[in-house]
Amino acid sequence: MILQAVLLGVIAFIAQSEYALGTSLLSRPIVTGLFTGIALGDIKTGIIMGATLELAFIGSFSVGASIPPDVVTGGILGTAFAITAGAGTETALLLGLPIATLTLILKNIYLGLVIPTMNHKADSYAEMGNYKGVERMHLIAGFGLSLMLALIVSISYSIGNNAVQSFLNVIPEFVQTGLTVATGIIPALGFAMLARLLINKSVAPYFFLGFIIVAYLDIPITGIAIFGAILAVIIVNIMNFTKKNEQSAQTTDGEVLDDEDF
Amino acid sequence: MMKTSDPKEKSLITKKDLNKVFWRSFQMEFSWHYERQMNMAYVYAMIPILRKLYQTKEEMASALKRHLEFFNTTPHIVTLILGINAAMEEENRLDKEFDEKAIDSIKTSLMGPLAGIGDSFFWGTLRLIATGVGTSLALQGNILGPILFILIFNIPHVVLRYLFTGWGYKLGTGFLKKIQSNGMMDSLTLGASIIGLVVVGAMTASMIDITIPLSIGSGEEAVTIQSILDDIMPQLLPLAAFGIVFYLLKKEVKPLSIIGGMAVVGILGAWIGIF
Repeated sequence: MILQAVLLGVIAFIAQSEYALGTSLLSRPIVTGLFTGIALGDIKTGIIMGATLELAFIGSFSVGASIPPDVVTGGILGTAFAITAGAGTETALLLGLPIATLTLILKNIYLGLVIPTMNHKADSYAEMGNYKGVERMHLIAGFGLSLMLALIVSISYSIGNNAVQSFLNVIPEFVQTGLTVATGIIPALGFAMLARLLINKSVAPYFFLGFIIVAYLDIPITGIAIFGAILAVIIVNIMNFTKKNEQSAQTTDGEVLDDEDF
Repeated sequence: MMKTSDPKEKSLITKKDLNKVFWRSFQMEFSWHYERQMNMAYVYAMIPILRKLYQTKEEMASALKRHLEFFNTTPHIVTLILGINAAMEEENRLDKEFDEKAIDSIKTSLMGPLAGIGDSFFWGTLRLIATGVGTSLALQGNILGPILFILIFNIPHVVLRYLFTGWGYKLGTGFLKKIQSNGMMDSLTLGASIIGLVVVGAMTASMIDITIPLSIGSGEEAVTIQSILDDIMPQLLPLAAFGIVFYLLKKEVKPLSIIGGMAVVGILGAWIGIF
């Protein structure tokens, strides 16, 4: 039990440190679910719960200045509590989402008050030309947050487990069923958030194209992604071709497009 | 288009220095905060260059302060701006006439456009493909799910991050102006949006799970509501759910309220026996 709490804390620490590792998505529930499963001895359930939470949290990533609910604690604790309670995926979600939102409050304090304080310390080091001091502030700020999330996960898991068990026992059957249904619908939120990021009038049909192909033909996502990439190259080429014809009087400076990274 | 600095001046920054910048750039969001966002991480990545160029305390202090200003862009390809800034710092060191303000203004003017294309490519397209492939396997308990998720995202990510370091340094400031002027930026954004949307559409059809097993009529005549809906169009309910949520987001309803709403719909539906 204590060993598991410590292991989960280590997973949280590594997950949050994805921001020292190139924002490489190690903190996503699909990854932490796997490791939580390993730590608690039920790998398969961990992977499945992680994937479900991933879909629920799909819209939860930082673009620009907005900080989303914390997927590190939400993903790890949601999966861990559900596995230990022997409950289903809907439990992981039921617990994961509020945990992620609660952690966000603590995280906002850290990002809004603690790091800026270190930043001002870094300013005064810069004033003296002390680059080592500046480096130190950056590293402490980063590892501090990893450590904070690790502690939240370890402590919550140690004290919360029994509470979670008895909480689940009092929830009536139809609420559990209802939440399972909600678990199935929640990915719609993530997809809609992503679509809003990408969509405008001229590209909207491509959403329906992808939808119709899968709804009627049931092609795996990998195939659709390849199809989409080929389609994108074709469309962009056609667009440039028409554009080039329009301004054929002008001298164009080359075919930079052709060897780009599609 | 190559940055042609005076040939008699030999360059001070070596490949090795740029490699250090590349490795340090992985920490770009590590010390992110609300006040100046990526500023400390940006300085951290620039320090190998600054150490190489500036020996006096005064020069170092002014360079450190310069790079502690507000900064935010897509972290995966920040190396483009780091490379350009490295080239400019070098020029600043070699050319007494060089205007130091240009270093800051290039940085500030590039972070927006780069984030525009970077966010839509990395967050919109690449992460989406990784999520689509990864979750469709992981939902069946396949360990390849999380593994492919990480690989699909990070192989292109690290390759681009590395290439952009060198490009930024070599092409200097002319680069983004050039691709912006011949419309390549628009083409890349359009292409990335197309791939992203096709995949979002596909995931809407395959990963949202709503069925209404309730049947109407009795005995031989009984048909489930679901089979009627399937006759109209398969996956009609997931599409409707997507449409409703999309509309709510447009009306600025908070995501958490939407999730709450879904839970209420699910629980009420289960209570009256639709689901």
